[in-house]
Amino acid sequence: MRQENMRRIISVASLVIIMLIFGLTSDSFFTADNILNILRDCAVYGIIAIGVTFVIITAGIDLSTGAIVGVTGMLCANLLYYYNLSAGLIVLISILTGTICGMLNGFIVVKLRVPEFIATLSTQYLFRSMVFVFTIREMGVITNKRIENPAILLLGGRINGIYLVTMAFVLLAVIGQIILKKTKFGTYIYAAGANRKSAELSGINTDKVRWAAFIITGFLCGIAALFQIGRVGSVTTDLGNGWEFDVIAAVVIGGCAFSGGRGDVFGSTVGAIFMAVLQNGILKYNLPTAAQLVVKGIVIVLMIVFDAVYNNMMQKRIQQKAREEDAAEMAGGEA
Amino acid sequence: MNKDKIKKMLGRSQRLWILVVIMLALTLLQPGVFLTVSNIRSILLSISIYGIMVCGTIFPILLGGIDLSVGAVAAAAGAFAVTRIVADDYSTTGVIIGVAGGLALGCIVGLVHGLIVTQFGVPAFLITLATQNIVYGIAQILTGNNVIPCMKPESFAFLGGGRLLGIPFSIWIMAFMAVISYLILTRTVLGRDVYAVGGNPEACRLSGVRSRLVTIIAYVASGFTAALAGIVLASMNRQAIAKAAQGYDNFVLTALVVGGASLMGGEGSVAAAIWGAFLVGVVQNGLRLMGIASDYHGIFKCIVVVAAVALDAHVRYKKSGLKKGGFFKKKAKVS
Amino acid sequence: MSALLEMKGIVKRFNDTAVLRKVDFSVEAGEVHALMGENGAGKSTLIKILTGIYPKDGGEIFWNGQKVEINNRNDAFRLGISVIYQELSLIPTLTVMQNVMLGREETRAGIINAKTMRKRVKDLISKYGFGIKPDATVETLTIAQRQTVEILKALSEESKMIIMDEPTASLSTKESDALFKIVEQLRDDGVSVIYISHRLEEVYRLSDRLTVLRDGVREAVLTKEQIIPADVVRLMIGKELSESTASQNLRKSDAPVRLKVENLTRKGIFKNISFEVHEGEIIGVAGLVGAGRTEVMRCIYGADPYDSGKIEFEGEALPRRIVANIKKGFGFVPEDRRNQGFTPLLSIEKNVALTNYDTLASGGIVKAKKERKLGNEMVERLNIKPNNSQIPVGNLSGGNQQKAVLAKWLSRDLKILIIDEPTAGIDIGAKDEIYRILEELAANGTSVIMVSSDLQELLRVSQRIIVMRKGEIFTEFSDGRVTQEDILMAESGILTKEGQEHE
Repeated sequence: MRQENMRRIISVASLVIIMLIFGLTSDSFFTADNILNILRDCAVYGIIAIGVTFVIITAGIDLSTGAIVGVTGMLCANLLYYYNLSAGLIVLISILTGTICGMLNGFIVVKLRVPEFIATLSTQYLFRSMVFVFTIREMGVITNKRIENPAILLLGGRINGIYLVTMAFVLLAVIGQIILKKTKFGTYIYAAGANRKSAELSGINTDKVRWAAFIITGFLCGIAALFQIGRVGSVTTDLGNGWEFDVIAAVVIGGCAFSGGRGDVFGSTVGAIFMAVLQNGILKYNLPTAAQLVVKGIVIVLMIVFDAVYNNMMQKRIQQKAREEDAAEMAGGEA
Repeated sequence: MNKDKIKKMLGRSQRLWILVVIMLALTLLQPGVFLTVSNIRSILLSISIYGIMVCGTIFPILLGGIDLSVGAVAAAAGAFAVTRIVADDYSTTGVIIGVAGGLALGCIVGLVHGLIVTQFGVPAFLITLATQNIVYGIAQILTGNNVIPCMKPESFAFLGGGRLLGIPFSIWIMAFMAVISYLILTRTVLGRDVYAVGGNPEACRLSGVRSRLVTIIAYVASGFTAALAGIVLASMNRQAIAKAAQGYDNFVLTALVVGGASLMGGEGSVAAAIWGAFLVGVVQNGLRLMGIASDYHGIFKCIVVVAAVALDAHVRYKKSGLKKGGFFKKKAKVS
Repeated sequence: MSALLEMKGIVKRFNDTAVLRKVDFSVEAGEVHALMGENGAGKSTLIKILTGIYPKDGGEIFWNGQKVEINNRNDAFRLGISVIYQELSLIPTLTVMQNVMLGREETRAGIINAKTMRKRVKDLISKYGFGIKPDATVETLTIAQRQTVEILKALSEESKMIIMDEPTASLSTKESDALFKIVEQLRDDGVSVIYISHRLEEVYRLSDRLTVLRDGVREAVLTKEQIIPADVVRLMIGKELSESTASQNLRKSDAPVRLKVENLTRKGIFKNISFEVHEGEIIGVAGLVGAGRTEVMRCIYGADPYDSGKIEFEGEALPRRIVANIKKGFGFVPEDRRNQGFTPLLSIEKNVALTNYDTLASGGIVKAKKERKLGNEMVERLNIKPNNSQIPVGNLSGGNQQKAVLAKWLSRDLKILIIDEPTAGIDIGAKDEIYRILEELAANGTSVIMVSSDLQELLRVSQRIIVMRKGEIFTEFSDGRVTQEDILMAESGILTKEGQEHE
């Protein structure tokens, strides 16, 4: 069986297992409402995870996604409050802001050759500070203002019971998967991550490819921010705080390897659902928030370690297999 | 080579000059505010906490790793110490158990990091980010998500609030840790091994260096100093709170990077890192005095970190480009 | 008759040393042209000029009779020249089809047209009878299969000329046979193949013509009828030289056995390796790239695991751990100096000290004075330039770097030194110094195992020479006179196993 399929089965299996655990221990888990909620909750992370999938396949990382959502969301709230811009303009600005943030990440990584994690960690500080630049203040005090624009609030709503954000997520995930698997650019994303030197030898401009992955991530962060503020109806300064980690966890659980070249949007989608289920399920146990944090953290650490162990094992297995084939050939050939 | 030497020498005195110039500028810009005993003392107090952390966190950095959990570990260790002291009715035994327990907690977290990094090959930034959530959770559980005041006993309050020869005791602790760290890094086999493994792990393995053990010790050291800093901080603030050391990770990282530690491993020194902490502390203080709230300091941190790392990367790139002749240059033109 | 490729009077210098001295080289359309020569004869430099990796310092290149300038890889690619690299350049996580078509995907409305691409790749595969599937992921393929993917890639680019550099280095006999068939098919299709190999039997079987290089000069061009293995070997080595450097000092040692290796096997890499090393003896290990020499040494040292067999050191089983072996008196100088030999940022002194902290430290505290003294001593003793133990090893020249790596071990009470390609990429002066050091070591009772591809070096330094071929010990020269020809013939498989003690 191909390794990709094997890894996929493991992702789905771990999702099924965790759902069964929660389903069997809680009555309110397998209800239509709860499932719809999970699908709503996973969608915002999931949209970002699509972009981060691209970045991680190129052997990069993006730690600034949460902060991009924060700054984009806050800017939108600010413009809505002070300038009462139209919804269409807000959508445009939001997406543009996210894209610019992604562009900046890409610039620092590709042009300044700063390692991805430190570059995006730095821009995380930057974007977090920018949030405070855009906060709404009354008499110098940071104030939360309700978003009044009905069209923006509609983004948090649902059609036929299904949340808009869920639909957007499905649509974007399908597009993402098609780009990754069915276009030149997608192939180059894999090539740039798995063996950058060879990719360049084949005439691929890997700098462009890596940069593009960051831009896509920023773009998707802009979209995610829109849905988030639409749903919540206001923006606090810690919007998006720590999201980057949940998103990365989702992508890792979905089978992307940090060494690059492995994984896809389908897996990350499964990972995003896994994270939402975990979050949702833990709530059912009436644990204090702190304990929830700990349990969630431990599950994620275990999944990360499992993924590393699995990858190492598969790598060894593949090598072993190739060596044994060689050994068999050797014995057969010389006789 | 000669040029390198000159650069290095310049670089060394440059460090001092930058600090002097900035302090001078601040003195002139904020007359009667910056260069006052109380302000300098407050700078020193804040730097002492970062300084303690830097002394241990430099170990994983020298190995080419990173520890993003130091803020969380500090909070948890401080919380443990304070809750223990309160539970033991402010007795001296409570102080001893609390402090020792807090330090042990830091070491255990470091041990877990070291084991996961060495045994499973999980990237350091990922696992330390993941455990960060868990450790924050632990801090919250310990404090019950409240502020726990702790004014007594004198022995505990002395750690962060006392004075010895007119100098705050926390500065003494920082100085002591810096000397210990300096001695370990420059005078012991362990220190030699840290630099060597950071520079070329495979060569070290073939030379009989126990690279894994060295790595584990490095993460334990980082956990230990983070815990110590957290306990001193709790004593200084006379309270424990789960959010006590939020954002300290990025401060410590900034200090290390500004202090010239290379994130690729193998380069850096304690003295320079403490200098980095000083510089960042002074600048942060200056920004605050100029009326720029700490919320905005991320902008400055981002610029500084990116600039420092990009410079390091640029120098390395140039070096490697020269060594490999025209090959790379040509390829760059093609693509 | 006009040649497809004509290189005329090619000159190349590196730092004033001429590597190619007015070399002529021509290849016709649809021929297999072998390029032979000892290490350092200039083969790879010539190929790198042809593929635009190095600029040439003189001479002209003609392609189909027209003068061309090849300034970079793309120029070569556009002419239709492909190289099958020794270190394979495929993307492991992509499929065969994706790799073959990488950079030249066919799309319709932005979407990859997998159907037509698959058909193209499939057609190529079936045309040449390769046993691979277009949708297999490359990382699951064996090395031989990956090589065929590279060839497929070249074919799909409609290359007119494919360059193969030691293609059979890591292939089994059966796999090699399959490759030969492919090469023959390529020729029948009108594709020219430049075939670089040390293995005479292959060259003999495959090539239509053969160019021999020696010391940067074209020594001969032979047609198929003229290719007689013994002659080729003589041409490669140079008759006079071969005689003058014949080994004088081969002898069996009476000293006690220090290391005994019995039936050491690592599946798929080497098998049934047995040999003994006596005290104070220098053993040379000869063989071609891919013969498994380095791998055997790493297993003995404890750097890699092995599957079966026994290693005895002074009568006791040897532990499989580096640290324990160092304590027993092992030293190891690896082949890949830059990546495995030293820590470039650290000074000579600290690199040297790294293996010596059992004596340079007590209770974990480094005795800095002793450390410095040792560093200076070693710089002095090995004549490391510049004469300063505080300089980072990364800043030294190749020869001095190698001396620094050696210095790590010399201060220890060495029982066995394993040294892999001791003088690769090192200038002549430093070479002599390193030989002197090895001889000194042996004279003082250290056993030295030296892996080398340099025949002169093997003959000059070793007292016995083991020849490995395809993961096995093929033969051993332990007495009498041995010439470079003898070793080369054994390595490259002209000699059969008849009459040898194995079998």
